[in-house]
Amino acid sequence: MAERSASHAPPRLADRITILAVGAVLIGTGLLLRFGDLERFAWVRTFFVIFGSLLVQALPFVIVGALAAALVEVFVPVGTLEKLGRLPRPLQLPAAALAGIAFPICECGSVPVARRLMLRGLMPSAAVTFMLAAPVLNPVVIASTYVAFRGRTTLWTMVAGRFLLGMVVAIAVGWVVGRRAKDELLKPRRDDPIEPLVLARPEPRWRTFFVHLGGDFLFMGRFLLLGAVIAAAIQTFLPTSALTGLGELRVIGLLAMMGLAVALSLCSESDAFVAASFVQFGPSAQLGFLVLGPMVDLKLIPLYAGSFRPGFARMVVIAASATTFVGALWIGVAFG
Amino acid sequence: MSGAVLTRATTVPMGSSPPRRWSTRRVAGAGVLAAWAGLFWFLLVSGRDAFYLSTRTEWIVPVAAILLTAAAAGRLASARVNTPEPITARELWMLGVMVVPVVLVLAAPPATLGTFSASKRAGFAGTGFATSAGDIGSGELTLVDVAAGQTSPEGERALAARAGETVRFVGFVSIRDDTPADEILLTRYVVSCCVADATIAQVRVVNVTPGEFANDDWVEVTGAIYPLGREVIVDAGTGGVVPVERPDRPYLSA
Repeated sequence: MAERSASHAPPRLADRITILAVGAVLIGTGLLLRFGDLERFAWVRTFFVIFGSLLVQALPFVIVGALAAALVEVFVPVGTLEKLGRLPRPLQLPAAALAGIAFPICECGSVPVARRLMLRGLMPSAAVTFMLAAPVLNPVVIASTYVAFRGRTTLWTMVAGRFLLGMVVAIAVGWVVGRRAKDELLKPRRDDPIEPLVLARPEPRWRTFFVHLGGDFLFMGRFLLLGAVIAAAIQTFLPTSALTGLGELRVIGLLAMMGLAVALSLCSESDAFVAASFVQFGPSAQLGFLVLGPMVDLKLIPLYAGSFRPGFARMVVIAASATTFVGALWIGVAFG
Repeated sequence: MSGAVLTRATTVPMGSSPPRRWSTRRVAGAGVLAAWAGLFWFLLVSGRDAFYLSTRTEWIVPVAAILLTAAAAGRLASARVNTPEPITARELWMLGVMVVPVVLVLAAPPATLGTFSASKRAGFAGTGFATSAGDIGSGELTLVDVAAGQTSPEGERALAARAGETVRFVGFVSIRDDTPADEILLTRYVVSCCVADATIAQVRVVNVTPGEFANDDWVEVTGAIYPLGREVIVDAGTGGVVPVERPDRPYLSA
């Protein structure tokens, strides 16, 4: 705190003029949207619809994730999760990955939970493994993959491949995180409530719970907003047909589908249906789409950048992409 | 300094009860949460959730509405603090930005994906989940059946067996540069979770009065169906094409 104060000028507090300006901008935006006839531009209409749908679908999962994170913060005593560190090291990361099975939520919800688990003492490598594995391994996602590919000869390649490769990639990224401490990974939150540390009785749990619930939602929500803007813009202007011509080349097709997964930023519980629609691509490429998408996409990268220190997002992107590429290619060759 | 350390220091002094005051930061945060809660209640009550979500995922709207309402109420209830928590101008602007999507959904006229997006999306491929060759072979044919039937040999055979039968489909008009004057493409989006994952189901409608319909017009087509390989043609000459209102649920659910 002292460091922060010393290196930065004190932030300007919001005054009445700021409040009026924010209100005026919101009212102006509403009037422009209502009477500006922006909908006559097809691309504007398309952008609004996709942007709105990404948020309407993702934000409920963010609030559920924030709820779980607040429960962890309030009810899990500090140090409890450190006991997991007593597991033999080769078991720690697989155990963290398998814990994702019990957390049926998509990727937007797993970030605040992982952050909170890290703060409560879980090894950072295990928390990152959990964060990446939960959106791929949870039963809802595996069931949706089964349903999407039912009737195809590649059904079990896709279902088992997604589960196993998803676990391997999450563990690999956790392994890359290694023994880094939480302070090396987590970005300090400027918007956390700051009150003096005094000898005192703590606030009631319910107050702490709601402070964290709202705080996590508002914190994650702003980065999700940024990601949704980028993803909606790409979906509005990028024709998927631009990539489908690449489907016949295994390696290029795989890279194209991995890129598409990042660009489209779909929820892990629905992406299998979209992957199944790309019939021009083989199982390697479809698997790459299904495994990488829930770990790295344009709405997640701002979330990572906001929650973790600089370099973390880059590390996840590189490690997850490389492992997915090699794994999906191998599975495609061996079982496709 | 980590957020956790700061948070765990959230305390009230022992043995004294200083006057509590409103934390502007918490009140403003509660306002944003309330705005989002209001949006989800609006979507639920107005039925506008159908413009963003499929039937599979519409359950998240009431869940979000309840959770966000509780979060807003809880944050407001915990907004009286012992030490001042002023909000900075930057934080207020950031919270304002978070309300922009709420304003967007509430203020902008309800819109759906149309022709512009149809050219950029993949075709629906759903033999595995939405329908089977058995479904296609019997009962009333839907656009989902037709689209799904175009993506597998079994589906194609099942569709071919229905050639000449009369079908009735509702969708919007899509006309490309190379579409003949007496034809339209009848299009409907198929959504799995949200509109972002929409794929298209499309049939070619022939014997349409030239110039009668424009892109994005909603129509009901009645006519004989003729599957030709991976393309499906509906001959409106045996039935007709009439304008209809956009359905309350404009997207088909997979």
